[in-house]
Amino acid sequence: MIELSHIRKVYPSANGEIVALEDIDLSIPDGAVFGIIGLSGAGKSTLVRCINLLERPTAGRVLIDGEDLMKVKKKRLLEIRRGIGMIFQNFNLLGQRTVEANVRFPLEIAHVPRAEAKERIAKLLELVGIADKAKAYPSELSGGQKQRVAIARALALNPKYLLCDEATSALDPNTTAAILSLLKTVNRTLGVTIVVITHEMKVVESICTDVAVIDKSRIAEQGKVEEVFAFPRSEIAKELIIPNLIRSIESAGGKKFRLVFNGEEADMPIVSALAMECGAAVNILYADTKNIDGKTYGHMVISLPSEEKEETVKRFLTQKNVVFKEEL
Amino acid sequence: MDALLVSKLFTQIGPSGFLEGLGITLYHTVVSAAFAYLFGLPLGILLCVTEKGGIRPIVWLNKIVGFLVNILRSIPFIILMVALIPAARAVVGTSIGNEAMIFMLIVAATPYVARMVESSVKEVDKGVIEAARAMGTGTMGIICKVLLPEAKPSLIVGAVISTVTIVGYSAMAGTIAGGGLGAIAVTKARTSNAQDVIWLCVALIVILVQVIQEVGMYLAKRLDKRNCRRKKRKINIEKSI
Repeated sequence: MIELSHIRKVYPSANGEIVALEDIDLSIPDGAVFGIIGLSGAGKSTLVRCINLLERPTAGRVLIDGEDLMKVKKKRLLEIRRGIGMIFQNFNLLGQRTVEANVRFPLEIAHVPRAEAKERIAKLLELVGIADKAKAYPSELSGGQKQRVAIARALALNPKYLLCDEATSALDPNTTAAILSLLKTVNRTLGVTIVVITHEMKVVESICTDVAVIDKSRIAEQGKVEEVFAFPRSEIAKELIIPNLIRSIESAGGKKFRLVFNGEEADMPIVSALAMECGAAVNILYADTKNIDGKTYGHMVISLPSEEKEETVKRFLTQKNVVFKEEL
Repeated sequence: MDALLVSKLFTQIGPSGFLEGLGITLYHTVVSAAFAYLFGLPLGILLCVTEKGGIRPIVWLNKIVGFLVNILRSIPFIILMVALIPAARAVVGTSIGNEAMIFMLIVAATPYVARMVESSVKEVDKGVIEAARAMGTGTMGIICKVLLPEAKPSLIVGAVISTVTIVGYSAMAGTIAGGGLGAIAVTKARTSNAQDVIWLCVALIVILVQVIQEVGMYLAKRLDKRNCRRKKRKINIEKSI
């Protein structure tokens, strides 16, 4: 388990101190896919670097399986880092090494015998689906392929944890989906606990079990993804979940509902059913839903121009098990 | 006719004399460059690694080494050479001849090489270093497995530039301490005003520099794995044409 308590990180600067993190408390349970989401500059990249002490917090405790990293000796810290894989937005592969030599890097550092390393590399490249590129150099690969290599490299020493710093932010939507599904596989089949840093809600939505929303150096809100997604409490979480929710709601009249789909109402055409069964005219103010493996995820905001149908609609939604929330 | 075109000195030196001069210049250059790298490479790495924000910041050490390197770098070689005469006597036992000259070249080239190495190593992507740190790599591991291999093409380019500079220095050093093309051109030819000798020396030095430059750049390009993609594309385009 990864536990951060009262983490504070301050950078000295010419005009006084810059506070990057303030009083951060997080515990990341084993087996979770934990999302840390925030706008750029919120401090999330600094936060993830505090977990493996690439950035040393100014104050606070970093516990990995109960061991306080702030107190361990340098040699022990290097050992602990070998049990925490990390991948990056810019992949950070060694440009002068082939794909297999990149994956071999951590094995060399940990003095794993050659034969064993060779076997392990083959397995890893197979796992991430890039075995045919073993002899290629990073410059010959696409972004998605590079990230696959980086994932293989991060998993080389059988880490218990994997930190992903904006791992899909430099990739196109299709490649992003493929990499996310690979991370999901890694979590499920290898039991690796994953920490995902991102500014995109859809990344959190599609793979995370838990989420912490970070804003202005502090944690604004955290919880299970379904809960935070359905009922965001903080302004920043609302902003991240529906970038223009406030505007779309303010500009329209009538009673407004936000419907949240967490994969339940798969093939049900909910809006038209609502319109027909309740005899209510409905305006769709906002919709962001997608179909993943035959299940609907996402949300939409609807408005009812006539207030008299309100109770009927509520009853209908409750009956159909649609999570909804009245807005304003 | 011959007497007008070819000076007496030119025939006196003869082909073997010029070749010997070239050989000596080459010898000075290679030996000095090797020693300058022996000392300059670790110094350059030290400068890069110990600076503020480096992988192992030791700011006071960085400041001291940086200061010494700057001092040596700022003395014009021709003055440094004269200043080094007593030191050469103390270290190699003589202030003239090849040993003294190589000693002076090493002293002058080492700080130059250190700065070249420093700038090459600094070019290595910070993200890659961070990834290596995240994998539990120690300082020596980062130097040997990340900084040097990743900076290799740039280090080779730096070595080419340094070596060419050393060729220039060796011509200067030749005038006071040892032999080589510089000595032939300056000490022998100038006094007897044998223009043809001077120009042949110039031509030989130009050729030497060109060869070093071309071979070095070829190696740097050949060993750089970052442009594989470009190369491949080029081949594809050529094929399609």
